[in-house]
Amino acid sequence: METLVFQKPSRIKKDCKVTFCPGCDHGVAIRIIAELLDELGIADKTIVVSSIGCSVFLNDYYDLDIVEAPHGRALAVATGVKRAKPDKFVFTYQGDGDFASIGLGESMHALSRGEKVTAICINNTNYGMTGGQMAPTTILGQKTTTTINGRDAEVQGYPIKICEMAAVCDGAAFVARCSLDSSKEIENTKKMIKRAFESQINGLGASVVEILSICPTNWRLSPQESHERVRRELYPVYPLGIYKDKANK
Amino acid sequence: MGRVVIDSEKCKGCLLCVEVCPRNVLKKSETYNSKGIYPVYAENKNNCIGCALCAKRCPDMAITEVYR
Ligand SMILES: Cc1ncc(C[n+]2csc(CCOP(=O)(O)OP(=O)(O)O)c2C)c(N)n1
Ligand code: SF4
Ligand code: SF4
Repeated sequence: METLVFQKPSRIKKDCKVTFCPGCDHGVAIRIIAELLDELGIADKTIVVSSIGCSVFLNDYYDLDIVEAPHGRALAVATGVKRAKPDKFVFTYQGDGDFASIGLGESMHALSRGEKVTAICINNTNYGMTGGQMAPTTILGQKTTTTINGRDAEVQGYPIKICEMAAVCDGAAFVARCSLDSSKEIENTKKMIKRAFESQINGLGASVVEILSICPTNWRLSPQESHERVRRELYPVYPLGIYKDKANK
Repeated sequence: MGRVVIDSEKCKGCLLCVEVCPRNVLKKSETYNSKGIYPVYAENKNNCIGCALCAKRCPDMAITEVYR
């Protein structure tokens, strides 16, 4: 007798067409979040705050209550949702441009206030949706459509480190950086998101999971080469790990 | 023995699943789908052990079910 060992999570819409580019890690992140909502049994009380960027069509994929925040304002909107409905489970899903460029103020204040929400930040080191411009997370030397000779510290300054900054906020309860470049890292990312979700459920404060992700289209690499780039170029600048965990300190 | 169910209309041909399959089950097809993409199919069906590594790697949820 055959047993079913993998199926689509219950809150992924039946006929959902994922609109990301071929190989993009966004789709994997969206799936593992939906799996966790099933495993933790919290889908019914979840309100998602989606953002502006390639993940803008989140409401087409998820069969969940979703509010679309203006660019960068996901954590401000999440604050309002959670304060109005404290019994709900609230998480944002945002790009690194959304979280750390236009939204840096909102992000840092929400973390400092210790809002009991979770931020999932997809860090692909550029602005994916608008055509691969430099993001605050673009690493030194990285070529983008607005740093055609590579990011130069003298001109564009240094990259912003999301987890390192988030960890110093007193209101942040769980902060971790992970990656989706291999099957092993996908498993680990799921564990990190689970711990962030649990820290919200236990009322410990704000939580952030930064996920190093590929943008093969704008990086002008194949998905396979993109994952290699994450290991070779991003790991040294953005080390993986748990930056803060109030539950186990 | 395992079995994968692939929705060839959802597959975007990124071939990430081919890379992670430990038993060399999946292969790019010779015919394209309605979007002009050459989707993957289970060529070496009998080698499948139902580990679901491919389904967990697929960014498009095109591998919809895995049985063991
Ligand atoms: C107020 C405002 N400013 C600028 C834009 C244009 N814009 C749309 S998406 C985006 C950046 C998206 O990058 P990121 O958040 O890193 O997400 P990704 O697309 O890479 O997933 C920008 C600047 C906008 N929609 N609204
Ligand atoms: S532009 Fe980049 S981040 Fe956006 S869907 Fe395509 S690969 Fe993904
Ligand atoms: S990982 Fe998914 S989208 Fe990519 S080739 Fe395999 S089945 Fe198709």
